[in-house]
Amino acid sequence: MKQSKRTFGTVLMTLSIIFFYLPILYMIIFSFNEGKSLTSFTGFSLRWYQHMLESQDMMEALYTTFMVAIIATAISTVVGTIAAIGLSKSKKIVRELMDQVNNLPMMNPEIVTAIGFMLLFITFQVEKGLTTMLLAHIAFCIPYVMLSVMPKIKSLDPNLADAAMDLGCTPWQALIKVIVPQIMPGIVSGALIAFTMSIDDFIISYFVTGRGVKNLSIIVYTMSKRINPSINAISTVMIVIITILLIVINVLPTFLAKQAEKPGNGKRNLIIALACTILLVFGIQSLKPSVGNGNRPFEGQTLHIYNVGEYTGENIISNFEELTGAEVIMEIFDSNEAMYIKVANGESYDILVPSDYMIQRLIEENLLQPLDYELLDCMDLLVPEVLNLSYDPNNVYSVPYFWGTVGICYDTTIVSEEDLEKEGYNIFLDEKYRGQIYLYDSERDSFMMALKALGYSMNTTDEQELQEAYEWLVQCVQTMKPEIVTDEIIDNMAQGRKALGITYSGDAAYIMSENENMGFYLPESGTNFWVDAMVIPANANNPELAHEFMNYVSSYEGALDNSSYVGYTSPNIEVREELGGPGGDYEGINAYLPRTNYEKDEVFFYDENTRKVMSNLWAKVKISASNAK
Amino acid sequence: MKKFTTLAVPYIVWSALMLVLPMALIALYSLTNQGNTIISFSFTLEHYVKFFTDPDFLLILWRSFVIAVKTTIICLLLGYPVAYFIARSNEKLQSILVLSITIPMWINALVRTYAWIGLLSDGGIIQQILAFFGFHDVQLLYTEGAVLLGMVYNFLPFMILQINTALCKMDNSLLEASADLGANPLQTFLRVTFPLSVPGVINGITLVFLPAVSSFFIPKLLGGGQYFLIGNMIENQFITVGEWNFGSAISMIMAIIMMLMMMAVRKAEDRTQGRKE
Repeated sequence: MKQSKRTFGTVLMTLSIIFFYLPILYMIIFSFNEGKSLTSFTGFSLRWYQHMLESQDMMEALYTTFMVAIIATAISTVVGTIAAIGLSKSKKIVRELMDQVNNLPMMNPEIVTAIGFMLLFITFQVEKGLTTMLLAHIAFCIPYVMLSVMPKIKSLDPNLADAAMDLGCTPWQALIKVIVPQIMPGIVSGALIAFTMSIDDFIISYFVTGRGVKNLSIIVYTMSKRINPSINAISTVMIVIITILLIVINVLPTFLAKQAEKPGNGKRNLIIALACTILLVFGIQSLKPSVGNGNRPFEGQTLHIYNVGEYTGENIISNFEELTGAEVIMEIFDSNEAMYIKVANGESYDILVPSDYMIQRLIEENLLQPLDYELLDCMDLLVPEVLNLSYDPNNVYSVPYFWGTVGICYDTTIVSEEDLEKEGYNIFLDEKYRGQIYLYDSERDSFMMALKALGYSMNTTDEQELQEAYEWLVQCVQTMKPEIVTDEIIDNMAQGRKALGITYSGDAAYIMSENENMGFYLPESGTNFWVDAMVIPANANNPELAHEFMNYVSSYEGALDNSSYVGYTSPNIEVREELGGPGGDYEGINAYLPRTNYEKDEVFFYDENTRKVMSNLWAKVKISASNAK
Repeated sequence: MKKFTTLAVPYIVWSALMLVLPMALIALYSLTNQGNTIISFSFTLEHYVKFFTDPDFLLILWRSFVIAVKTTIICLLLGYPVAYFIARSNEKLQSILVLSITIPMWINALVRTYAWIGLLSDGGIIQQILAFFGFHDVQLLYTEGAVLLGMVYNFLPFMILQINTALCKMDNSLLEASADLGANPLQTFLRVTFPLSVPGVINGITLVFLPAVSSFFIPKLLGGGQYFLIGNMIENQFITVGEWNFGSAISMIMAIIMMLMMMAVRKAEDRTQGRKE
């Protein structure tokens, strides 16, 4: 009986350990993968580690993550413990009220707490950055510490402190010598939870940070939109650091205790942990690349860029820094809308890289400053088709960064070209391909597809037409079992997992270069012709340096680096010819050379009201997709 | 005694500023109708009406609760025996086991969830194992099962650690006393061990249920874009739709429901504690 119980326990324990460690092990293994795939291991390589070390973003994020977590844990543990002890002796009504208050950050959806903090900092005009991140972390960690300390205090004999004081202790001594040691296990587990919460936090940090300050979660989130195994590499590094830290914390006290012939106690654990972590912080800080000096035009100045993740050539930033002596801080956004919210709330950047429709919106709301053509020498190098478009006539505000179309990426071995030509976007309603399709999780692209399939303009404001498009999409999600994905589509299509997907031309170019069975088709009913461009916000601190950056990115050298790394079509004439032409990286890949001057192709036009209608309808499409399951 | 009470004062001020005020700002947004930056005081209930009159929104709310309840039950059923086993091990093993449960929690949740994508995706290792046993082409990723798995994976350690803390705190002589008095192991468990671990169980449930019900990146990564929970809806309103007022209203609704539930749990907890004393 006893034996079988023991065996049961051991089996259970082994299974849970496997469960907890399988994904972690998987991640470590794939951090050494030579290829980009997350499912097939093609060979051993350290290239993702090299990539990680070269990325200033990642190294700084690692440092920020640990620093914030350590400081937040230390402060919130002390404050939380003191507050919990104080509260336990307070009047019942105060105690109950504070219980409710403490529950706020734990009961609310994290995103609500995040928005709350954001509104708070904006209301009091606290500049967002490391300080706000730290404040927010402390604020949400304290309740967790108290939650863990409270039961310990509750189970304490309430007369203990009195007894100590009767025996001559001062209240402070009673607190430190009697109460704290008694509740130490609660304090330690509270500190552990606080540390875990802080190091894990994504949503709150994401909303309260600014000035390029990022923690690991934000880096992972913004980078995981595109497959990037450096994430696995940096995670592996983090796992190693934490494992070492934990082992040291756990082994050292026992070792010391043996030396001193005294049982180790929690207090000593904490002191050792603190010492280790301080060493660690300095260790990581020393890894941060140092800025060189010399006699360069923008020596010591800073350029703040706000761009999409994995949307910049590998060496652009370092080369530009080398060239100008300036320091570049790049923040990453995952959608134009998220970027807009930050910019509209007064966050200051020198360069943004939004999409066409968002540029139009920023212009309409006077958030951009006109370019100084005296400082720009790159406009002649660019493809004429991407200049002077409706979102910014005469390019008063913007310099194109990448451009392309949206089309259907398909598996030529499964999808017949005849069907594509005959049906266009309506192939997404053809039940022959049921379960074989990806939709892109973006209301603009999905409504573009539906509206074009129905023969309407993608910029319609007619509610009836939008309603029909909505019904078209609902029919699609209800009958076709699509998967609605974002950038996972790139890896998945490259692996040939499904037969059809809506993709951006630049992503299709990458997919086709990875998998020769894939093709890219632009329906005759037209598509979205888009441009992502660099703009300078009205409140930029260093517009002169911003112009310099625009020149560099648009030059042959910058544009080549950008386009060959990212895979999107370059606006630089020479680069486009070279990469798309004979001998280029994208030779023979039609997706790299987007269709131009086709009358049914349109540039997205921003209309506040239509956007809201579309967003709401798209949310409902997704809701009916999830209800159809 | 008074000296200890004053210890709480700074925190009361701090929490009024950092915890209550943000909620008040959100409540204000949910009841007004202005844009994202200008606060004007024309009160309206239309955002609440909009939510409660749309069956789709209500269905999402319901499903979020269902999946959070499922997650909590699974975590409790898996977590309790594990915590119990850890608590019954000898001291050395115990610290190793607690450590091995803690380490994964310290690794970024997004990363760990992201790692499951590779494991679960088509052509991934789990699908290959299933195929070996004769189950071919089982869709794993982008299913409700994947979301549930992701949630259990992320939140189970909280449950284990909370219950374990409660069990370790327990005085072992109680168990011996119970046995001496003629109780069999089952009776001891039901009458002594379990009631004493209730505070840990309740803390565990709190720490699992609350994040599960509002989680949005787990359903987003493992459920795909077509898997929508209330957290995704709120995120969507704030990030893509930009209707902060409506988003605030949904948040308030969630917050109020959760607060009511938690009050009920606390009441129940107090009652069990009361009976014991």
